[in-house]
Amino acid sequence: MIPTVTELFEDFDDISDLAEGLDDPSPGARIMAVIELADSADPAAIPHLARAITDVDASVRKQAAQALTDFDGPDTAAALVSVLKDPEPSVIEAAAISLTELKDPTSGNAILPHLDDEDEVKLAACLAGIKELRRPEALGPAINALQHRSTTVRVQAVGVIGWLQDEAALPALREAAKDADKLVRRTALAALGFSNSEHAEATLVNGLVDSEWMVRESAAETLAKTGGASCVEALRIALDDEFWQVRLKAVRSLGRLGATDAALQIAPMMDIPVPNLRKECAAVLGELAVPETAQFLEKYADDADPDVRKNVRWALEKLAA
Amino acid sequence: MDEILDGLTQIDCDILVIGGGTAGPMAALKAKRKNPEANVVLLDKANVKRSGAISMGMDGLNNSVIPGYATPEQYTKEITIANDGICDQAAVYRYAQECYGIIQELDEFGIRFQKDQNGEYDVKKVHHIGTYVLPMPNGDTVKKALYRQLRKARINIINRFMATRLLTGEGRVAGAICVNTRTAEFLVVRAKAVIMGLGAAGRLGLPTSGYLYGTYENASNSGEGYAMAYHAGAGLANLECYQINPLIKDYNGPACAYVAGPMGGYTANAKGERFIECDYWSGQMMQEFFDELQGGKGPVYLKLNHLAEETIAEIERVLHIVERPTRGHFHEGRGTDYRKQMIEMHISEIGFCSGHSASGVFVDEHARTTIPGLYAAGDMANVPHNYMLGAFTNGAFAGLDAADFINDVDYASFDEGEVEAERTRVLAPTKREDGIPPNQIEYKTRRLVNDYLQPPKVTAKMELAQQRFEEVREDMETGMYARDAHELMRALEASTILDCAEMAASASMFRTESRWGLYHNRVEYERDDDNWFCHTILTKGADGQPVHKKQDVKPYVVEIAEDEKDAYYKQRVDPSSVAAE
Amino acid sequence: MPLAQTATTVPVVVDDDLCIADKGCTVCVDVCPLDVLRIAVKDDGTKTAYMKYDECWYCMPCEADCPTDAVTVNLPYLLK
Repeated sequence: MIPTVTELFEDFDDISDLAEGLDDPSPGARIMAVIELADSADPAAIPHLARAITDVDASVRKQAAQALTDFDGPDTAAALVSVLKDPEPSVIEAAAISLTELKDPTSGNAILPHLDDEDEVKLAACLAGIKELRRPEALGPAINALQHRSTTVRVQAVGVIGWLQDEAALPALREAAKDADKLVRRTALAALGFSNSEHAEATLVNGLVDSEWMVRESAAETLAKTGGASCVEALRIALDDEFWQVRLKAVRSLGRLGATDAALQIAPMMDIPVPNLRKECAAVLGELAVPETAQFLEKYADDADPDVRKNVRWALEKLAA
Repeated sequence: MDEILDGLTQIDCDILVIGGGTAGPMAALKAKRKNPEANVVLLDKANVKRSGAISMGMDGLNNSVIPGYATPEQYTKEITIANDGICDQAAVYRYAQECYGIIQELDEFGIRFQKDQNGEYDVKKVHHIGTYVLPMPNGDTVKKALYRQLRKARINIINRFMATRLLTGEGRVAGAICVNTRTAEFLVVRAKAVIMGLGAAGRLGLPTSGYLYGTYENASNSGEGYAMAYHAGAGLANLECYQINPLIKDYNGPACAYVAGPMGGYTANAKGERFIECDYWSGQMMQEFFDELQGGKGPVYLKLNHLAEETIAEIERVLHIVERPTRGHFHEGRGTDYRKQMIEMHISEIGFCSGHSASGVFVDEHARTTIPGLYAAGDMANVPHNYMLGAFTNGAFAGLDAADFINDVDYASFDEGEVEAERTRVLAPTKREDGIPPNQIEYKTRRLVNDYLQPPKVTAKMELAQQRFEEVREDMETGMYARDAHELMRALEASTILDCAEMAASASMFRTESRWGLYHNRVEYERDDDNWFCHTILTKGADGQPVHKKQDVKPYVVEIAEDEKDAYYKQRVDPSSVAAE
Repeated sequence: MPLAQTATTVPVVVDDDLCIADKGCTVCVDVCPLDVLRIAVKDDGTKTAYMKYDECWYCMPCEADCPTDAVTVNLPYLLK
């Protein structure tokens, strides 16, 4: 008689049984209990994990902060926020990551009271956590945070404002677009994408001549979403930018804006030996469909790059139609 | 642990899903949601938490078809062209229509796709001709998010059991025989439907490093799906269309044209010159790569050192954190820096993987194999170029179809003698006093694969391979020796690898033409559309040897214009235009 | 046909001072796709994780999931 196999399935143990492991004197056993509680994926585990995140041992606290990624809601958020000033940086880091994974807007209830915290690490983590929850109450504190000395805080604050898409925040975002830090400027310009106001457009046009190419790239890209006829001239100037990445975004935006006037300026760019740029030029020439550009496209109908060939053929069809 | 124990248990379930990587979990979830009463069991050779090709995550979707940015028609056309026309479009088309729903579902699971600063899907790389790349900023949490869903749905998970053979009876699937990888105890699972998601055959060729596990694919993906389907009598399609990829030399991880390409990185020869314009992985691209090396213009490099610091930092952030995070360690150890020098690339060992080619267990648009009740999805099924999102989506199709299939059937009866015979076969290496360890059987098989099967393919070499494989098989069946349960797992894998090697040789001999660029470059034969515009289907013959037949490509759903068919042929840079960025 | 005792370096290194296997942790052993890690009893009777089989895909779940950062994944010597 062959004996039967003893262990087969993963367990679905009772949560309170699993939680008993949190009282074990050894940190390793408590860590394993935290992992099993997380693996349960059962919201009943949240209060136990909230207890584990106050453990005397830092590795248990870190594990609990990671484990809470598997859960959502105000209690989860409150437990995570409570360790953002932990003496052990790895605990803070884990909690900050878990905060960004929250999806339930009510989780924001536990974060909102901390959006004016003195501690910059905590403040940045709270702003990052509230961003995707899109809580309107976060707008004021986020605007205030734009004045913060920490670049990280300012970048996160711009993120919160951008996701809220509230025209009332426009003056603050336009200020942020003049920030001393290039990452803040770049993020702020991208965040303006929701606005249809001419002020946003003017700010983006200014961004096209920023000293940093990634800021110029962001401006050129965002103008496709929000720009009107008045930014075409500035985008045409950006077609001569020293960075092909900026030129590429300018080409794309001119296509989206239907700037047929720019077609003959874009067409000779097909000769530039940067495949990414040529691909984009061909596609945009198709969108603009100006017959005079056909001769530039035809030169590249048999281009060695399959993507360029594909776009050229498509563009020529559009021109013919 | 690892001590060999005597044990045998039989369990019953409605749907057995083998493989907890990418396709398997989605299949299990979909089946359970559609039919909550069904008993769904998900079984994995490793631990579902971290098993499969996306063990550490994935940096993005390569083939997302999002309404408004790409169309199912355009996508189907692209994939058909990339596969030299040999493609049953129905499965590709259905994928393209339904994958956006899967993206949204993954998003609900907590797997995030890149959004812009206003919280909208970041489609900046996408225009209406169709681009399919959607980055995943928290792609390192994919497995965690999937696991959470499995637990919430209370799917029954069995870890550390390796399926070795399928059971069939009454002309359909009846279950599977499995063995514990740490105790060698047996588990017989009777099931009304079986879904296979066992991944690629990644340990087929030997990496140039000589390290058995230094493969491109997750080395635990050793081809069990192909071998089990074969022994059960299922059809396997186009196995001669090998997977061969351009990789970082020695590290054997992807050079990642998808990440670096849009930012201006490219493949260059020793002089730093671009010689292929398109880094999309295709057989033709690999042929150009091979030719450059053969022409003495190599080594071939990944060139990023012309890019701006910010761009390189961004590429590093993506490539070194998600999917293969040891890549940063590798460059650090070598003292190589994308900023300072080009990074040497080479041609990978061969494998089977539909994620990047077109071979695999034959399935239709419902992920049904040629055996009723048996499904396959992901890298091991022959839906071409389906990558991670294809594994999720086709896995979903399998789960949905299986949930219906089980309503109308009871367990198929099977020959009980098969279980005993399989126990004898599996345990044979543990019953010997001494012998050849599994790693030597495996090394020799894979070294022969490199010597004789790596393209360009030569008939006389492949015939030699077949002879030598037979000799290795004889040694394996009479002399392989495993000292503990872990070694027994490796012994079973060695057997699978040998099965796959024999199928690779046999399938390559059957198709007497060249196709798919380097993947099936047979030096004695030209391309022959008149005779070979067809699938090749390999099955196990009555004598236990592979038999082959041709199968028509089903009429296209989306027509391909004559002048579009060559889209992937011409890839070499015109020497008169010098690339510079 | 006797077997040889050929030595090989292993890529996964565990810092015994940080490892809490003795306290019941088996995280790295659990997550390894190739199942190459095991728990050993040291001379002093305490336990630690170690790499038993040199069959590593250098994929990193053991390092990433270790609660005490005790695990380091180096590249296997043959390819580093």
